[in-house]
Amino acid sequence: MKINVVESVLKANDAVARENRRRMDAAGVLAVNLMSAPGSGKTLLLEKTIPALAPDHRCAVLVGDLQTTRDAERLGGLATQVTQINTGTGCHLSATHVAQGLDSLDLQGVDFLFIENVGNMVCPAAFDLGEHRRAVLLSAPEGDDKVAKYPTLFQPADVILLTKLDLRGVLDYNRDRVYEDLSRINTRAPVIELSAKTGHGLERWFAWLRQERRQHSGGDSAPPRGRKDTAT
Amino acid sequence: MHETSIAAALLDQLLRIAAEHHATRIEQVEVRCGVMRQVVPEALQLAFEAASAGTPAAGAQLTIIEEGLVVRCRACRAEFASGLDDYRCPRCKTADVELIAGHDIILRSVVCQANTAGSDARGPDCL
Repeated sequence: MKINVVESVLKANDAVARENRRRMDAAGVLAVNLMSAPGSGKTLLLEKTIPALAPDHRCAVLVGDLQTTRDAERLGGLATQVTQINTGTGCHLSATHVAQGLDSLDLQGVDFLFIENVGNMVCPAAFDLGEHRRAVLLSAPEGDDKVAKYPTLFQPADVILLTKLDLRGVLDYNRDRVYEDLSRINTRAPVIELSAKTGHGLERWFAWLRQERRQHSGGDSAPPRGRKDTAT
Repeated sequence: MHETSIAAALLDQLLRIAAEHHATRIEQVEVRCGVMRQVVPEALQLAFEAASAGTPAAGAQLTIIEEGLVVRCRACRAEFASGLDDYRCPRCKTADVELIAGHDIILRSVVCQANTAGSDARGPDCL
């Protein structure tokens, strides 16, 4: 017999993502999903971000990696709560990973939850985790051609961070090429140029986070704007 | 290799549907994959083969049909077909869009062998 169906294969993931978002909304938490290739500077950025926000905001982190607790150890002394999620051979975080991570956190009093996704420019983009905003990092050493090569990562981004720009001088890195590619892929997301090492540009990133937090507290709990709203 | 997760989710879905229809074996499966999901058909086939081994879906023929991308400009609300490499609105020239189609993975049909001993093998969805 033939059974006709019209059902999303990722329905189960999306249902868990909606529940994650509901839990964080109820606790007044803004969740930011950080995505990029491995080594683009996600952890260092958080090492600089969490203390800078600390006077006014409490931060928790879920950090995804295939193996080791190294990132959680780096962030452990900075964030109020950190949970390392090891995916084993999994190349991305799923909504279920995040749900389990949320179970390990006390969300009351937390303002920001940073979800440091597994370093990968393809797979993480396909999975809604229940986050409110998506931040995509592109470091100078990766090259200036990655926006065009991995458009599905950059298209739904709410903010794009060009990182490690202190290395630009020693690399054959054409920043104009990045902007040219972004003009075709995503003109909505602000682009912030920074170096977490020197501190250049970090204030703009902090200001963006504070602004999004205010907007979220004001009742805008919509998921990232450039993609399908699985909350409906 | 997010195809592994997708294959696992698909298998869960198929086994649930098979159980609901008292089916004993799943023979054919049709899935539409939006290009935005970047599914490599060969990788999904391989992952599905591995995931379904030893289940009623083992050996099922999986047909994967690619679905193109349709987007809506957030400024002028125009809907247009888009490539993965260029989301610019033909009118506004900005790349600020919502995804309308081509961003999901949809199970469309399942052909399975019913348990003929079952009293209600042909439910209302069966053709």
